[in-house]
Amino acid sequence: MKQFKLKNLLSAVAILSVLASCQKDKKIVVDARVATSGIYVLNQGNFNANNSTLSFYDYTTKSTTSDMFSAANGTKLGDTGNDAKIYGSKMYIVVNVSSTVEVVSAKTVKSIKQVKLFNGAVARQPRYIVFNKNKAYISSYDGTVAVMDTTTLAIEKYITVGRNPEQMVVSNGKLYVANSGGLSFGNPDKTVSVIDLNTLTETKKIQVIANPVSMAADSYGNVYVLSTGDYASILPGMTIIDNNTDAVKTQSTTLVGAYGTAIIVDGDFAYFLTSDKKVLVYNAKTQTVAKANFITDGTVIKTPYSITYDSTTGEVFVTDAKDYASNGELFAFDKNGKKEYSITTGINPGAIVLVNK
Amino acid sequence: MLTCLQLISYKTLAQSDTTKKLKEVTVKATTVPKVQTLTPTQQITNKDFARYSAFNVADAVRNFSGVNIKDYGGIGGLKTISVRSLGANHTAVLFDGVQLNDAQNGQIDLSKFNLNNVQEIAVYNGQSENLLQPARSFASASVLSIKTIQPALTLQKPYQIQAGVKGGSFGLVNPYLQWQQSISKRWSFIANANYVYANGRYKYKVDGDGSDTLAIRRNGDVRSLQADAALYWAKSDSNKFNIHVNYYNSKRGLPGAVIFYNPYASQRLENNDIFAQATYEHTWQSSIRLLINTKLSQLKTRYLDPEFLNQQGGLDQHYNQKEVYQSVALAYHLTPDWEVSYAADASYLKMDADIYNYAYPSRFTLLNVLATNFTKGRWQLQGNLLQTNLNEMVKKGVASKSRSVLSPTLMVTLKPFDNSNLQIRAFYKNIFRAPTLDELYFYAIVPRTIKPEFVKQYDMGITWTKNFNNLLEYITLTTDAYYNTVSNKILAVPNKNPAIFSFSNIGKVDIKGVDVGLKTQTKQQNGWRGLLSANYTYQQATDVSDPTSSTYQNQIPYTPKNTLALNAGVNYKQLGIYYNHILSSSRYYTGNNVPDYYVPGYSISDASAVCNFITGKLPVTASVEVNNLFNKNYSIIRSFPMPGRSYRLSIQITI
Repeated sequence: MKQFKLKNLLSAVAILSVLASCQKDKKIVVDARVATSGIYVLNQGNFNANNSTLSFYDYTTKSTTSDMFSAANGTKLGDTGNDAKIYGSKMYIVVNVSSTVEVVSAKTVKSIKQVKLFNGAVARQPRYIVFNKNKAYISSYDGTVAVMDTTTLAIEKYITVGRNPEQMVVSNGKLYVANSGGLSFGNPDKTVSVIDLNTLTETKKIQVIANPVSMAADSYGNVYVLSTGDYASILPGMTIIDNNTDAVKTQSTTLVGAYGTAIIVDGDFAYFLTSDKKVLVYNAKTQTVAKANFITDGTVIKTPYSITYDSTTGEVFVTDAKDYASNGELFAFDKNGKKEYSITTGINPGAIVLVNK
Repeated sequence: MLTCLQLISYKTLAQSDTTKKLKEVTVKATTVPKVQTLTPTQQITNKDFARYSAFNVADAVRNFSGVNIKDYGGIGGLKTISVRSLGANHTAVLFDGVQLNDAQNGQIDLSKFNLNNVQEIAVYNGQSENLLQPARSFASASVLSIKTIQPALTLQKPYQIQAGVKGGSFGLVNPYLQWQQSISKRWSFIANANYVYANGRYKYKVDGDGSDTLAIRRNGDVRSLQADAALYWAKSDSNKFNIHVNYYNSKRGLPGAVIFYNPYASQRLENNDIFAQATYEHTWQSSIRLLINTKLSQLKTRYLDPEFLNQQGGLDQHYNQKEVYQSVALAYHLTPDWEVSYAADASYLKMDADIYNYAYPSRFTLLNVLATNFTKGRWQLQGNLLQTNLNEMVKKGVASKSRSVLSPTLMVTLKPFDNSNLQIRAFYKNIFRAPTLDELYFYAIVPRTIKPEFVKQYDMGITWTKNFNNLLEYITLTTDAYYNTVSNKILAVPNKNPAIFSFSNIGKVDIKGVDVGLKTQTKQQNGWRGLLSANYTYQQATDVSDPTSSTYQNQIPYTPKNTLALNAGVNYKQLGIYYNHILSSSRYYTGNNVPDYYVPGYSISDASAVCNFITGKLPVTASVEVNNLFNKNYSIIRSFPMPGRSYRLSIQITI
């Protein structure tokens, strides 16, 4: 099996240069565009449709490239690109159903390595990636967190966690992993695994609201966990964990109103995409709601899907998945919550990555 | 005898001649396809299946105009019919006049139906013009009717056995057997058994993952058994009864969508279907006609996904659908020109599934239809009013609201000239389909409100047929322009595997189209005969739901604008050689008609040769069929590649 994979990988690299001539049906223009500064949007595409793309909006030219990945590499991302992050000079794109992590140059999107995550013939289904001290941690639906060296790009270890882990966050030298159990309908997991980053072992499991998915951490020792509930009797809500004691500080289904599934923290503020289509701002220092809605100009987002904050400009970026089946949109808001511009993205824009200079 | 009678009655409608002359016409009319019908009608009989290199019911009708077969590829791949862009759920599939009902997903997988026991397949836009039929035959936007072979025996030879085997690419082995037996003057039976085994493997090209070699489609193996038996009783043509039992069992792998870099698929689907149906038909001297149909059916489906990453370490789901169905229809000629009919159908259906939070719904449907047909001079007028009552109950959750809907249909034909076989026809049909039980209750953790999907169909067409005395035997030409409006359209989007869909409700669709059909054949000259048929379809099906949406006025997914199907052949004595070609323009797989979501068109050829001969005293039919003659890479549904060139050899003996 390993030989087979290697062969694929080798041929993928070898063919890259001659691909344009090989392909009769479609012209793939290999574009040497350099992303100096702009926004990448990773579009999941539709499940089982092999149409995940990486949109790029260039701040300088104000133009959008619909798929930087295929433009740079001639190949496609595959099925359900779920997470993308830049660490050092590389960008890591986690492709869920294709079960790969595409490691590319953060500036050019040129492929450096395609890391396949399979357990024999079973796809591990990677979901999210976080970094700490030259190691990447990749959660996969098969109940593992893979540890990858960011220099050798080799997977060094698989740490067993709970069921169907989703987002992770590094806080106080520990890795917190949200074990959703979301693939067992009616019986979600309700724990957060704590992994000691020195020993790379799971040290404990913290009970949270069922079906935890999204996570973020602030500088005041709080780890925020958003749970989806079981869609029936258990309501969605937020659990706040103390990163010193790993005890649950607060657990609430009403703290920030209607819960969505996305949270980010920047400085003193946490930003939530709420299910009533607002961007709620929460003061991490005082633990109170700062603004019921960051958007001040009445811009309507049909299906808020992912959010990012630019700490240098105070801008907030929100994607809109529309009807989950057609092209989405990225909205840029200035620090006052007024819409600056919007661009068309691919289907289900699930991750936003800012690249500055 | 039976077909002869039908032809006579058909001709009676078309022209008011004397009986003596009629008999002459009938002899000629045997080869002329019936195209001058109230609503557009296309049919194919069993002797022509090889002409179209058809292996199953879907292959047999894919050339029809206005028909779009959604084929997920391979022998075990799901194949459904969409007529005039309305989607599979708007076509009722009738099996010997009684609907094959699948309330769970509302669409019939036509790959399940082998052609070995099929006599004729017809597609009706709107409905058939027959007044005496179950109410369900009036209750859909179009009808696909499958008629099985009935015993046709003589006193000299009270039995007939046909045995055959088909085999070829994909590791296909398909032995079948048919036994017809006359028991007494009034009783006879027919039994069919047919077994399909195929490993389902074929090569295909993957675009976009950087690979340069052909990949092999795996996990597409099929094993299926279909057994069918029917008992016929006939006192006379006006007093007859039959009972039919049909059993189907299959186990197949689901190769799934092609996923870049992840070639493994392990999902499986098992079907275990059985139904029994009985039909009684009586015509009294007072011209009252009675038709009673009863049906019991059970559809069991098992879906397995051993690699699903849940706590149980895989999915193993069982679905069970049971239905009791009863229909009574009466027709009566008030005057020789005016016939009225009434039909009432009742159905009770129950659905079980061992999935999370399942509602265990049951549905009671009552349909009443009043229909009338009036013929006067050059005019024929037909209309009906259908009343549907839907009632649902659930054990868990919230049941869908009860509904009562009135659906009118009007049809008219006019023969404007006495001396020309030109006919003008038009119809209007207002119909709806109920949301399926899957749409309503499949993993419906939050109760779903799905309204029925309403369709209004307007059609106007011209038909022309002419018999010749020169080189050509006949020409038939049909052209229909249509306009359909769909409100609250529920679109099935291919998902995870062909057995499970996700649903999106895109609101309103406007469909404008043209269907054109041509059929001709030469007279037999020194043993030679040429055959030609061509069908063309133009469809513009645009999403008109939301002017602010990026999909507004874009063509709906998987709907080619232009489709052309050509079939040509030559018969020489007992040998026939045929060529079939289907050309489809490009499509989009999402509602955004942008290059990113483009699915290229395709142009695919099939060829076949059939030979009938006699060895010893037994008639033998042998055929060779080649599908995708030029080995083109294509797919009808994106990510579900179709096979390249494939072969099939068949041999059949009749004892």
